[in-house]
Amino acid sequence: MRQDLTALAGAGPVRQRPASGTAWLLLSPLLLWVAAFVVAPTLIMLVYSFCQRGTLGGVVYDFTSENYWAVLDPTYLKILIRSIEFAAVTTITCLIVGYPVAYYIGRAPERRRNLLLMLVMVPFWTSFLIRTYAWVTILKSEGLLNSLLLQVGMIGQPFEMLYTPGAVIVGLVYTFLPFMILPIYTSVEKLDNALVEAAFDLGAGPVRAFSKVIVPMTSPGISAGVLLVFVPALGLYAVNDILGGGKVDMIGNVIENQFKGGARNWPFGAALGMTLVVAFASALWYTGRRRPH
Amino acid sequence: MVAAVGVGCQQSSKHAEINLFAWSEYVPQAVIDGFTAQTGIRVNYETYASNEEMLAKLVSGAQKYDLIQPSEYTIEALIKQNHLLAVDWSKVPNFKNIGPQFKSLPHDPKTKYSVPWMAGTVGIVVNTEKVSDPINGYNDVFQEKYRGRIVVLDDSREIVSWALATMGKGPNDVTSGTLAQAKGILERWLPLVKVYDSDSPKTALLNGDVDLGVVWSGEAALLYAEDPKFKYVLPSEGAHQFLDSLAIPADAPNPEGAMAFMDYICRPDVSKLISDDFPYTNPNLEARKLLEAEAVANPASYPPGDPKLSGFAEIGEAAVEIDKLVTDLKAKG
Repeated sequence: MRQDLTALAGAGPVRQRPASGTAWLLLSPLLLWVAAFVVAPTLIMLVYSFCQRGTLGGVVYDFTSENYWAVLDPTYLKILIRSIEFAAVTTITCLIVGYPVAYYIGRAPERRRNLLLMLVMVPFWTSFLIRTYAWVTILKSEGLLNSLLLQVGMIGQPFEMLYTPGAVIVGLVYTFLPFMILPIYTSVEKLDNALVEAAFDLGAGPVRAFSKVIVPMTSPGISAGVLLVFVPALGLYAVNDILGGGKVDMIGNVIENQFKGGARNWPFGAALGMTLVVAFASALWYTGRRRPH
Repeated sequence: MVAAVGVGCQQSSKHAEINLFAWSEYVPQAVIDGFTAQTGIRVNYETYASNEEMLAKLVSGAQKYDLIQPSEYTIEALIKQNHLLAVDWSKVPNFKNIGPQFKSLPHDPKTKYSVPWMAGTVGIVVNTEKVSDPINGYNDVFQEKYRGRIVVLDDSREIVSWALATMGKGPNDVTSGTLAQAKGILERWLPLVKVYDSDSPKTALLNGDVDLGVVWSGEAALLYAEDPKFKYVLPSEGAHQFLDSLAIPADAPNPEGAMAFMDYICRPDVSKLISDDFPYTNPNLEARKLLEAEAVANPASYPPGDPKLSGFAEIGEAAVEIDKLVTDLKAKG
């Protein structure tokens, strides 16, 4: 994971060389991993998505395209759009909160840097679900935050926080913030201070130096962070269930219901999943093509 | 002694273990340990959180199970697809302790395949400190004045069955006509709901985030044990009685061991252990006699009177329609 982040964040112009046998050998574990855990499951889903529903779950191998027509139903499009909105708000919030943190850590003296990085990682030592349930204790109407606010007299009666869209965003931002901070940090760490000084010497103010020099120089970290937050935030539905009370469905909830809920409609769940995969892949391909190399 | 071990060896290699695939938080460790101590058969306990999750793993065949613990409609579907092994009742003599009202039910009409584990209902929990008006049925719960104070199970079929009950229909009376009418009712009800939670609906009630709930009776029994202000009401319009049973998949590697386990849990003293940990309605009448008076007096476990109860039947493609109906309504809110 760490290597991936560094590679993503540090992706600069690289001289192309024809791959040698050794290179392929070194690459083979990764290729096998991708084939077994990415390509194969995706192909199985692709096949399932064109099958018919089995009585006890599973699929019947009879070709049909009706699952994809069902995806186009306004309800599912609406749920998909709402999921994208939640993921987008999460990503933007993580960027606004995470960038200054990453910048500060990246510019801190080396000794302190490791301690600060450690603090970013500490939450990973506890299960994600337990940390999310901890937020229930904080946000519930007789919870820690409400008691605190009541005590200092900021509010007259408990404030409804748990089971609201705001609680879902808080939970998502909390979960994904490290994934924004770490790649930006690796970019900031590599940032050549001489270039920033040069910007100031040439008469740029702090705003211009930031927007014209620092942001472009750290943009690989920013795009890696955005990707690492947005994609999983779109699929994560546990936070929505625990902190949002499951009041509105996310696209992940709908897909889960097809496999583990009463509908037992694997082919439709597979079609929804494939639609997401195709949407992501085209978005990535499109942005990749537009970026000048 | 040595000779006995030597003779038993051949047998024990065949009968040494059973794979139990059951609901999470439903089989006390004491029962598993007791069974192993008694028979020498080791139990591998794997858990699931929904009937459909169990079906997915069972049908995939990746792992062979000796015992599963499906609910009534899932048993019906499994029997219809020839996925279950008939129980040899001569190997399960303690089955006589199970009450007659839990035998020969529509999902296993000839009582050939399943041993009831626990029964329960889905009913209404009222925090009587916060809600003073009498609550007798679903229509009393889903009122405008309780907007944002209700928790319900996150289960489309359950939710639809409540609307059907207020229409005077049973939970299996699912046609396009009845579903359309139910949709009209749920359109008014669902916007009032604050939390959907099937896993632990008691949490929102205990935390004081909601005051009313339509939840599993086991959750209600735990709430009542915590604080008697949480009253359990079986809806006057009719309620779902679920019945989870042990059954043996047709391809079970060790059906003998599975039947030994079935017999073991039908022993009154063992069945009582299950009730102690999971206060649902125990179908084992002999075990009920061993329970403490206050456990039997818990109205969520043993509802008084003669409530209108019905089980879920397998409804095939209508399940897809029900899922879509609730998803549509939730997306609107």
